[in-house]
This record gives sequence, structure tokens and C-alpha cells, in this order.
Amino acid sequence: MKKKILSLVLAAAMAVSLAACGGSSGDSGSSASGASGDTITIFNTKSEIQDQFVELADRYSQEKGVKVEVYYSSDTVAAHLASKYAAKDPYTISMVDPKDVYSLGAEHALDLSDQEWVKNTDYAISVDGQVKGFPVCIEARGLMYNATAIEAITGEEFKPEDYKTLDAFTALLDKLVAGGMAAPVGIMKEDWSLAAHYFQEIYEKQDDPEAFIQSLYAGSADLANNKVFNEMMDTFDVLMKYNYAADSPVAAEREVSEQKLAEGEIAFMFGGNWDWSLIKDYEPSEKMGMMPVPENSDNGSNDKLVGGGSKYFFIDSSEAFSAEQIQGAKDFLNWLVADEAGNKFLTEDCALVPAFSNINADALDPLSLSVKNYADAGKLIDNYNYDPDDHYSKVGASMQKYLAGQIDRAGFAAEVESYWSSTTPVEH
Amino acid sequence: MNTNTMSFKTKQFLMFAGVTTFIFCAVVIVPFVYGLYLTFTSWDGVSATKPFVGMANYASTFADADFWKALARTAVYSVISVILVNVVAFILAFLVTSGVKGQNFFRAGFFVPNLIGGIVLGYIWKFVFNRALVALGTSLSVGALSTSWLATTSGAMFCLIIVSVWQYAGYMMLIYVAGFMSVSNDVIEAAKIDGCTNMQTIVHISVPLMVSSFVQCLFLTITRCFMVYDVNLSLTKGEPFNSSVMAAMHVYNTAFTYKDYGTGQAEALILFIVCAVVGVLQVYIGKKAEVSA
Repeated sequence: MKKKILSLVLAAAMAVSLAACGGSSGDSGSSASGASGDTITIFNTKSEIQDQFVELADRYSQEKGVKVEVYYSSDTVAAHLASKYAAKDPYTISMVDPKDVYSLGAEHALDLSDQEWVKNTDYAISVDGQVKGFPVCIEARGLMYNATAIEAITGEEFKPEDYKTLDAFTALLDKLVAGGMAAPVGIMKEDWSLAAHYFQEIYEKQDDPEAFIQSLYAGSADLANNKVFNEMMDTFDVLMKYNYAADSPVAAEREVSEQKLAEGEIAFMFGGNWDWSLIKDYEPSEKMGMMPVPENSDNGSNDKLVGGGSKYFFIDSSEAFSAEQIQGAKDFLNWLVADEAGNKFLTEDCALVPAFSNINADALDPLSLSVKNYADAGKLIDNYNYDPDDHYSKVGASMQKYLAGQIDRAGFAAEVESYWSSTTPVEH
Repeated sequence: MNTNTMSFKTKQFLMFAGVTTFIFCAVVIVPFVYGLYLTFTSWDGVSATKPFVGMANYASTFADADFWKALARTAVYSVISVILVNVVAFILAFLVTSGVKGQNFFRAGFFVPNLIGGIVLGYIWKFVFNRALVALGTSLSVGALSTSWLATTSGAMFCLIIVSVWQYAGYMMLIYVAGFMSVSNDVIEAAKIDGCTNMQTIVHISVPLMVSSFVQCLFLTITRCFMVYDVNLSLTKGEPFNSSVMAAMHVYNTAFTYKDYGTGQAEALILFIVCAVVGVLQVYIGKKAEVSA
């Protein structure tokens, strides 16, 4: 009898283990196939605003009588949508990265050229002459700083514009170290941060990014002797030298680094205004902000952040949806831009930097406020949106090697060059 | 009633195996054949059109050095893990069948890691390797522990192996326990009377009689190790510098992240063939070694 019970328990345990294996995917919400009748489904890819978005959907559904459902997935955007399109079960509105608008837009996105909001933005994406992408927000990359921590040591007001050059910046770092901050810098080791955010600036700060990329494809670019490359890598060397995790840089965890920055244990980290969603969870110092990456450069690139529209909505153009659903989706986008409640949702609830000139955004977090100030002053260098899909992973791996001290700069340049020359050019 | 007609046989087959055959076709055969078809297209995973490209995907699979590196890495990982998992599982099984006090409790305890899903397991161990061990190493000033193992190429592989052994040893232990219990007491006693030591009893009596347990355990561990994905994803995510990307993860990345579905599918097929050949070969050899008392 005892054995029988034991075997039953074990059988049950094995069944549970099978179930546990099956239940570990990252989707929240069930499948979107509930898109019957007049329901509008929205696919959200910004995890930090999912709660606010779900709440908004409830509110919007009640006020407007249009049923809105919001879904989130932690999968890669393209991979998730691929499975949805394969199942012929798309979302009415999908939030995607700019490159996805270009790759999916021609086939799957509705022409929105005649919409009201188009005239209020410089950031909409057009494919084949038709407006297809609705800019959800502006995001920009640069060096995040904790001014409270810096001022506590230097004793004088921190003005980011005084530290545009690498020389001035290094002098400040030395001062911080002398003042008791052992290592004033954090570096995110994630491949997307290294390759798609930091290294990406090397393409974007070229006089003609497109021509530069084409020369990389063709194998004719000389990266090791490129001016921007060397300037940015000089700065990266300095960041590496003052990195708090210099002993084991590829083991640094993002959450730990953000916490150190928020609490003033370190003063600088390269990132973007989206990092606020992590920083706010700790006890951030009052005076934080973003500044351009310091460089010993004379072409003015050390005066600007790099960024632009970063997430885009597109409306599905397939026959899966009725005319009412499509109209409801269009109304929703217009409501975000034209209605005060919609504006409030974007700028206050979600803390996004609006991409529309008519939206007031005084209540933003400090990082986003910096981005908005640079954007308003016209000091944003455009994103380059046509990287091959494996760029962040392959170049990121090479850059991690550089970060870990496994290859030198010449070796790194050679690896990046050989990556590009062996890759099929992205058509756009 | 004539039971030798075609229609009777068909009816009988449908009655007993119809439903299972249908489900098997729907979830295994059809997707497999469809996947095979996709390896001959340059589909990106999203488009409505699937242009036919012949053998081009296989050509690019053979040219994809990263895939072969990942496959070789997976083979190394599998060999080490399979050996360790089975050695540990066998020892555990021996201990919990040797009549120690509370052995049922130990059996359950060793089995528990298998109940935690691979994703969760990866995150737990990531914390252990990145923070707990490092904190311990720093405070005791043990050099080897003061930096995270996950930050080095061989360290990350080592961590993956440790976690796999921890995860699978308990499960395999159960199968070995069943093996030990199936060996009849008569032969054990006979061996004892003939003057066998404990060790000799195990080597010459128990092990030959439980070869089928070994065959099962080896098959399960080999296939699971070759297909490892969840622990790989949550523990190392391929880092540092993509040096811990296993074959399954490379396939996923190629197909979905790099949007090269056809090539990814072709690589998956090669992974399947490698896995199937190794698995079948191992079962074939193992079966030959089986004896009965």
C-alpha cells in the first residue's frame, strides 16, 4: 500500500513537471483571437507601460464604448508578430520598432496619410510614400548622469556642457575619484546596449551614415583609421577604465548598475531615457539627466544626443478586421494626440517624450526632460534604422570581448569589418 | 463473424488507434513535413509569400560557421553532462535503495529540482553564480570565487553543466531506483552466499540486470542535452560574447531573431538528424547488452 501511494505521488510529480515545462513562455494575456465583433486589440512592446496601458484600455472602453484589449509579449517583436501572422491572427494595432515598420509596413500596414495627427509630427514613418508608422514616443541615447552625486564631491554646480570633450570629462572623473568615488562609471554589458546603442553612434555620427554603411558592406571602409570610430572608442576606453565592475565587466548586472547610478554610488552610465523605468524603482537622486557622449571631436557631434521616434504603432491592413474596427483603431490614435486625456496618458502615466508638437510635456521625468530639451533645440542626431537583424548580437559579442579585454581595438575593428562584409545588405 | 476482411481490420484499427494516429499526424507528421518544405524556401517568417530557393538554405547552413561551432559546443556539453548526470544519478539511486533512514524523503528531495521549470532554474542559479558565490568569495578572499564564473567562456559552460546535472540527476535517479528494485533479491542473496562483496554484487549482478535502466536514462539525457534551450536562455543567454550559444538557441536566433526562417529550419533539421542518430545508435547498442536473470 505504501509503495502504491509513493508511486502515485511520483507520477503526479512527473505530471506537474511536464506542466511546469510547458508553462514557462513569456506571454501575458491569452491569444488575441478574441478579436471578434468590434474589439480592438493592441500589441504593446514596452513592458514598463503595460500596467498603465491595460488600465487605459479599461477606461477607454467604458468611455467610448469601443472594446480595447492590450497584449504584451517579451518575445522579440518580429518573432512574435511572425507567429501571429502565420496564424492569421494579427493585432489591430501593433507597437513595433522603426525597422519593423519598414520591413512589415509594405505588406501589413494601413495607409494613414490622411489622418489628423500627421501634420503635428516630424517623426512619422512613410513606406513607399504612404504614412504607415505612428510615432509613440521619442527616445534618445547619451550619457546619464547623477548631478547630485557629482556636486556633493566637486562642491560646484554640474553643467554638462562644460564636459563636451573627453579631456574635460576625464579631468572630472579624476576629480571624482580623488574625492572618494572609487569608480564613477557603470557600463551595461548587454549586447543590445553595446552594439545597438553605443557602437551604433559610430555609424550615426558619420557625415553620411548611409554611405558609410554601404562601404562597410562593400568591405572598403577602414574602421581602424576612422575618425569617429577612434573618438568614440577613446571615450569607451575611459569609461572602461573608470568602470566600477572593471574586474569582471561582462558579469555586471543591469539592475545593479542602475541602482548604483540612481543612488549616486556611480555618477555616469551610457544609456537612454527608457532607463528611468528601472532607475525610478530605487531612490533616485533629485538632479539627474542626460548629456551627449563626451568626445574629443570638432564636428559638433559631442553637442547632441542620438535619437528620434523609437516605437511606432501601425494598423493592420489585412482582411481580419471590419471597417468599424479599423475606424476605431484610427480614432484611438487620434485620441492620443488630440485629446487631453490621451496626452496625459502618454506624458504622465507612461512618462514618454511625445513626438507631437501640440502635446504639452512638463511633467516628464528628469531623463526624458533632458531628451525633450535636446529635441526642442534641434540637437538630436537621427537614428540609423537599417541594421541587419543579427547586427546587435554579432557586433555585441565582439564588443563584449573588447570590454573584457580579450581583443584590442585593431582586432575589434577587424571583427566588425568582417561581420559587415560577410552580411547581405538590408534593402530599404 | 469473418474477422479476416479488410474492412474489419480497418475498423478495428480505427477503433483502437484511430484517435492517436490522427493526433500524432496532426502534431508531429504534418508540422515535420511542412517544416521540411520550408527549408526549401527563403521565407522570413512574416511575409505572405514563400519563394522557393531549392537547396540554398542547406548551402548557407553548411557555410554558417557559428552553427557548427554551436553544434560542437553542444556535443561537448552533452558528453560531459550525460556522464555526470548518470554517474551522480546512479550513486544517488544506490544510496537511497541501500536502506538508509528516511530514504523516501531523500528520494523526493533529490527529485525536486526537476519540478522547477528550466527558466526559473536558470534565474535562480544565475543569482547564485553572479551574486551569492561572488559575495562569498570576496568576503573569504577566495580568488576563484571573487569574480563571476558566468563572465568567462569556459566558466559559463561549466555553470551550464552544473545546473543540468542538478536538474536531471534526480529524475534519472528515479529510473535507476526502479532498476535497483527490479533486481530480484534471490540473485543478490545467492551472490552474497557465494561470497561477493557489496561492490562485486553491484558490478556483476545489479548492473547487468538493469541495463534497460541505463539505456533509458542515457537516451533521455542525450536527447535533452542536445536540445537544451531553457536553461541556456535564462542562465547565460549565450553570453559572454555568444560563447555559450547552444545549437537549439542558435536555431531559434537564426529563424526568429535574424529572420532567416528557411536556414533556421534547415539547421533544426540537421540538429534533429544528429540527435536521432546518436539516440538510436545508443539504444541499439544498449539493447544488445541487455541480459535476463
